[in-house]
Formats: sequence, C-alpha cells, structure tokens
Amino acid sequence: MSSAPLIATDGLGKSFGTEPILRQIDLSVGAGRALLIHGRNGAGKSTLLGLLAGLLRPTAGVALLFGEAAYRLEPAKRRQLGLLTHQSFLYANLTARENLEFFARLYDISRPRPLIADWLARVGLAAAANELVRSLSRGMEQRLAWARLMLPDPQILLIDEPFTALDAEGVELAVALLNRALARGAAVVLTAHQATAPAGLAPDFRELHRGRLIAPDTRPHARALVVDPAGARVSFGAA
Amino acid sequence: MARSLSVLGRLLTVLLMLTAIFMVFAWVPNEAEQGLVQRIFYFHVACAWVAFAAFALVAVGGIFFLWLGQTVFDDLAYAAAETGMLFCTLVLITGSIWAKPIWGTWWTWDSRLTTTLILWMLYGGYLLLRALSEPTPQIARFAAVFGIVAAADVPVIIVSVRLWRTIHPAVIVTREGTHGLEDPRMVITLLVSLAAFTALLVWFLTLRMAMLRDADRLQTLMRNIALAEAALED
Amino acid sequence: MGAFGALLRKDLRLELRAGETVLTLIGLSILILVAIVFAFNPVGGAQDAATAAGALWVAMIFAGTAGATQALAAERENGCLRALLVSPLDRALLFFAKMTADLVFIAVGQTVAVIILVLFFNLDFDRRLAAMALPLALGIIGFAALTTLLAGIAGRLRAGALLLPLLAVPLFVPALIAGVKASALALAGAPLADRLIWFKILVAFDVLFTSAGYMLFESVVTEG
Repeated sequence: MSSAPLIATDGLGKSFGTEPILRQIDLSVGAGRALLIHGRNGAGKSTLLGLLAGLLRPTAGVALLFGEAAYRLEPAKRRQLGLLTHQSFLYANLTARENLEFFARLYDISRPRPLIADWLARVGLAAAANELVRSLSRGMEQRLAWARLMLPDPQILLIDEPFTALDAEGVELAVALLNRALARGAAVVLTAHQATAPAGLAPDFRELHRGRLIAPDTRPHARALVVDPAGARVSFGAA
Repeated sequence: MARSLSVLGRLLTVLLMLTAIFMVFAWVPNEAEQGLVQRIFYFHVACAWVAFAAFALVAVGGIFFLWLGQTVFDDLAYAAAETGMLFCTLVLITGSIWAKPIWGTWWTWDSRLTTTLILWMLYGGYLLLRALSEPTPQIARFAAVFGIVAAADVPVIIVSVRLWRTIHPAVIVTREGTHGLEDPRMVITLLVSLAAFTALLVWFLTLRMAMLRDADRLQTLMRNIALAEAALED
Repeated sequence: MGAFGALLRKDLRLELRAGETVLTLIGLSILILVAIVFAFNPVGGAQDAATAAGALWVAMIFAGTAGATQALAAERENGCLRALLVSPLDRALLFFAKMTADLVFIAVGQTVAVIILVLFFNLDFDRRLAAMALPLALGIIGFAALTTLLAGIAGRLRAGALLLPLLAVPLFVPALIAGVKASALALAGAPLADRLIWFKILVAFDVLFTSAGYMLFESVVTEG
C-alpha cells in the first residue's frame, strides 16, 4: 500500500483572464485524512474544488488525484472520485431510485439493486424511493445527493460546503457518512465558510485567503510602506 | 534576420501587386466575348483562391490548437478567419460586378458563387461566435471545433451544390468556368495575380497574428503583475 | 453498452415524463408548414411535390435547432452535466447518447410533420410517400449529429440561441440540398437510380458529422 497522498497539488494556480483567483496552492491529503478549507465568499473555494475534480484546467502548477493530473484522469480512476456541490446532481423528473440506478450504471456497479436499497435506507429515503425528486423536500433531496455520492464507494471525496444547508439531523448523517468513508481509507476535502467542523469530525484546517492556502491563525498582519524621510529609506512595517 | 525577412516579404508583395495591377489593366489582351469587364476575373479568381485557402488555415490552426494547446495556433486560425472573410466578401462583390454587365443580373446561382456564399456564411458564423463571446480559452476551443467541422464540410458543400446546379440547371445558365484562356498572356496574368494575392494573404496574416500575440502577451503581463502585486502584499 | 443504454433510457424517460422537446418540435413544425402554405399557396398533389418536400425540410431545420438546445440544457439543470463529466463516462459515448436521443425526438416530430404535410398538400399515403422515409431518416441522423455538437457550444454562450441556427444552417446545406431533392423525386415517383446520387451525399454527410461529433464533443463539453 503506497503512502502517497490521494489528493495533492503543487504550485496550483488559476487565473481567469488577468484576475488571479488561486495562487501557489500546495496541499496534500492522504488516505483516511480530511482537510477543511474555509474562506469567505468569493475566495475561490469552488474554483479550487473544480480544479481538484479535474473540471477546470489550472493556469499554473498541477492538481493530482491518485498521483495523476486531475484534468486528465483516466476513467478507471474517475470511478473512485466523488464530487458534491451546491447543485444536487439529480434529475428532477426521475424518482430517487431511478436516479441512483442511473448513476450506478454509470459507475459500472454490478448488481446495484441491493446496494441502492441499502443506501436509500441508510439516508432515510426508503419510503420515498419511488417519488420524483422534484416532489422531495430540500432536505430529502440533499440526503439523496449524499446517497448518490457514496454509492460507488469513492476513495476521494470533494465536497463544497456540505453543512451549510443541512439541518441538525442532516449534519449528523453527513458526519456519519464522512467518517464511514474515512474509515475505509478515503481522502476528503471539504470547504466551508467558518473554521469550524461539526462534532464528530476532526479535519485539518486551512484558510483560503486572498488566493493562498494558509494554516489557521497565521493570517499575515496588514503591512504598509513605511517611509523614513530622514534616512530616505522605504520598508515594510506594521500598519 | 526576421526583421529583414519581413521587409523583403513586404517589398515582394508590393512588387507582385503592382505587377499584377499593371498586367491586368494594361498588358493582358481583352477577352474576345466579354470585353473590358472580364479583367475583373483575374482578381476575382485570386480572391476566391485566398478565401478558400484561408479557410483551410482556420481549420489547420484549430486542429493544432486543440491538439497542442499553444495560443499561436489559435492566433493563426483567428487571423485567417478575419482575412479570409475580407477576401470572401471581395469574391462576392467582384462576382456581382462581373455578372451585371454580362448577364444583366447582380447575382447568379451558379455553383461557384453559391458555394462562396455559403463559405461566407461559415466565416460569418465563426467570427460572430468569437465576437459575441468573452475571449477565453474555452471560446477559442469552440471556435476551433466549428472551424474544423466547417472546413471538413466544404468539400461536401462543393459537390452537392455542383450537382444541384447541373442536374437542375439554373434559370440563368452561366458558362461554368471561363477558364478557356486562349492567350498565354492571360495565363501568366492569372498566375501573377494569384501569387500577388497569396503574398497579400501572408502579409495580412503575419500582421494580424503579431497583433493577437501582442494582446496575449499583454494579458499575460497583466496577469503576472496582478500575481506579483498579490504576492507583495502577502 | 451499459452506460449508453442508461443514458438513452434516462433521456427518453425524462422526455416522456415532462418533455417539452417533442412538443416544441411538433408545434414549430406545424407553424412553419402553415406559414409556407400561406406564402406559396400550393395547389397540392404531384404538381407541388418540390414545394412539399422543401417545406418539410425547412420545418425540420428550424424546429430542430430549437429542440437541440433543450436536449443539452436539461443536463445543465441541477448540474448533472458536471456529474457526468466527473464520472467514468466516456465523453464520446455521451455524444452518441445525446445524438441518439435527439434523433428519436426529431423523428417523432417529423412523423407528425409528414402527416400534416399529407393533409396540407393533398398527398396520398402511398409508396411514393414511403420512399421519402429514407432521405428523411438520413437527414435526421446528420442533423442530430450536427446540432448535438453545436448545442454543446451554443449552450455555454450568452448568444447561444441565436448562434445555434446561424452556425447549423450553412453547415447543413449539403444535406438540405440532397434531402430535398431526394424527397421531391420520391414524391414525384422518380426511379431509385435518379435518387441514388443524393443518398450518397446524405450518407457522406452523416459519416462526416457523426465522426466529427465523436472526436470533438469532448473539447466542447469540458469547462475551462
């Protein structure tokens, strides 16, 4: 079993046109580890996840999944990748079960029926299995989204703000599912607004601040140019 | 080295063009049936050659851009599309000018002119696609895809339009290809005209590609400045 | 063919449940046919075989471009396209699945359009009408391939709804010429030998755009 990290980036950067969104991002997440990246709105968290998932091409550096460039990940490895964002990734006019069956087929899961029944029960949707997704409540839709995510038992999980729109029960479920995945050796990257994780989850923390990933509480103090007229010197000092 | 080569090239282009103009207006003899207006043929055909050649370049640039990813290929495609559009428009205009005194109408649906019209619309589509969108790498890829598909379609268009016209002849029967060039001076003039317009195409392409490359460099520079500024404030 | 079948079944099921695509196609086709009848005032029957054939193809093009955007738009809702891109699904296979679904929808729309055509142009349900099936089928295949590829482009653009027909129609010209000719000849009872050359063009067109779509769809559907 290799000890190489499942998720890693090296000098990853992304600019849209002339606007730098991410710069010099270095991170590494090994099996069974979780990383929570927090930052304010617009900091670039979703962009970072997009790069990690291989949906976006970096303008600098590289994002690696299973040691391979995320953007060019081969289908066999993509089977082990799971992404969940604000969007549900569910077809509104299919039933809960039909959605899971579709994705099971996409991920080449053999004999999906029992697995699907299992997951529907696990997220508490067994009764609503044959309801159209459009008639599910928001909370139920989210649970189904998690079931869809976990169905192929992914080894890499990339999740954008998982706890923001969940109620207390939902958060409990999400934490349970994440811990289950971590126990099975998955590597997880989450994003969030605050630097807090719900009870039961103990991830590493990094802040996405002005395009860079920094360790918590190491935000550099604001500095200003200090001009010394007497000695005609210019330097950086505390603001 | 590159500098002197480019100066030489421009000089050559100017010379060729002047020679062509002289030949067309003063040297080549009148064509027996059509008279003076037939001289436009030498420019008309040269523009058509350029219009189609440029479209091939749009596709080639697109293919290499999708394959190798370097911006220079996209620059080639875009420059070729703009230049080609210009010459394609000229083909249609000169065709019109030629048709009016000969056939009495401004437009004929003969196979060559029709195909050129469709080519013109394909050029238009390509340019509109780029003009109506932000200049992102994704749009460049979209344009490349359209250019490739369109260029691959052109042979099919040529064949189908020709069959359309021969099996069901047009109301106005045009003489397909006035290429019965009796006098050798006519052949020479045509060749010189072709050479002159090809040189012009190359000149326009290099000009436009240089502009696009500079714009791209500027953007990279601005991006690096933004990055450096951000790093400075870290 | 598990993934392909799953994709196709999903699209057909979605259309059956809440589909707007087929309805749009049928609705627009009828409108266009009516407009053409008023515009050209055909007498009907064998005399107007050429107009009838032309009307059918014009209806297909303009109704079809409207329908194509919808087929891919449904994926963008709820971000499903992203889910498909992240999955192990072969992007070329996605193209075939989308193209086939589009094909089915247009075919349904065109069948209805043919029936309307028979009514409006006083045609008969005879062998000559049946002979139109082949050029129509070939045309629909090429059109589905073409618009599926272009919808991938147009779906991402602000001016997408305008650009799709603008890009599609000139590209479709060879199939339009060949298809209308073959259809008109079929309606007029012309022998197969006369129509053969047009079939060849249609087939060449179909091969071209199906392979182009297969090879280029990935470039079109992936994000920056």
